[in-house]
Amino acid sequence: MAEKLEPAKVLYCGVCSLPAEYCEFGPDFERCKPWLVENAPDLYPDLLKEANEKAADNVSDKLQSVGISSGGADGAPSSAHTGGTSKKEEVKRLPGGKVKKKERQEVIIEKVVRNKRKCITIVKGLELFGIKLSDASKKLGKKFATGASVVKGPTEKEQIDVQGDIIYDIVEFITDTWPDVPERSIYFIEDGKKVQAA
Amino acid sequence: MFKKFSLEEISSQNQVKASVQRRIRQSIQEEYPGLETVLEDLLPKKSPLIVVKCPNHLTLVVVNNVPLFFCIRDGPYMPTLRLLHQYPNIMKRFQVDRGAIKFVFSGANIMCPGLTSPGGVLDEEVDAERPVAIYAEGKQHALAIGFTKMSAKDIKSINKGIGVDNMHYLNDGLWKMERLD
Repeated sequence: MAEKLEPAKVLYCGVCSLPAEYCEFGPDFERCKPWLVENAPDLYPDLLKEANEKAADNVSDKLQSVGISSGGADGAPSSAHTGGTSKKEEVKRLPGGKVKKKERQEVIIEKVVRNKRKCITIVKGLELFGIKLSDASKKLGKKFATGASVVKGPTEKEQIDVQGDIIYDIVEFITDTWPDVPERSIYFIEDGKKVQAA
Repeated sequence: MFKKFSLEEISSQNQVKASVQRRIRQSIQEEYPGLETVLEDLLPKKSPLIVVKCPNHLTLVVVNNVPLFFCIRDGPYMPTLRLLHQYPNIMKRFQVDRGAIKFVFSGANIMCPGLTSPGGVLDEEVDAERPVAIYAEGKQHALAIGFTKMSAKDIKSINKGIGVDNMHYLNDGLWKMERLD
């Protein structure tokens, strides 16, 4: 038997999960940079130089500003800067560098007449609040004593179908069971128009 | 192929019976003789082997929730990139030039000129329809796993069009799915 192969260790970037050497082709090289400087300085010698220069610049800047103005003025620009970076991080990135639109968190409730006097209430968007749909459907079914199931919606999205017209107190039920869902983000669809529930 | 891939794509997953497990092991071993010594660690006989079926005739071989191999239809099993990074010498290597890297990262197939240019390296022995590892000029690790469309000799002589189909590349859906839970 041949000698046993040892698994090779590969350094993966902590930010974008690619092997560190491919960060430059990754979705967001800029964000990886600090991590790279810290963990894989020999892979990108230019980067280290850049970082050092920046650090040097910062130090000299600080020295200057301290010399010119008082501490209060110095604090303001730095705090503004940190605010900007945190906002940037909120934007989710899809593969291919496209920026994903942030989905509005809202629950949409719709009544569909199935058979003259029978109808189904469709609840969409609960998953956007981090609610497990299977749990939710069980709870809904229990509360209203009807069938409630998770169904794949028209656009590959999952929704909950509840048998019967339960529009009259589903809003209260939702806000009671999941306090995370604010009442004003629940909408009804009436005659094809979106109407706020509250 | 894995450009968009997520847990939702999984249509079924089941633990396969021992005979199927044996067959999978055998075909992997035939395909990658270099893996023979570690196969016992990768696919332990004792622990359950799960086969995950996905649309487009795609199957994944999963052990301990980690996807290790994938295959299409009845094609050869191919390792995932994370596995290949650990055992880099099990596959035949192709190398693309630096200019091609960025296209491969967005899922493009590997075109012949990228392999024949000064930055590219071809393994002459590779026939058509074989799995290969795609490396890049100046980089140490593989960046994609491909399936050759024509033999290496043809790639060299024709030098036009798609040489290797890009199956699985860094930062695609399968790469991001480090664990299946």
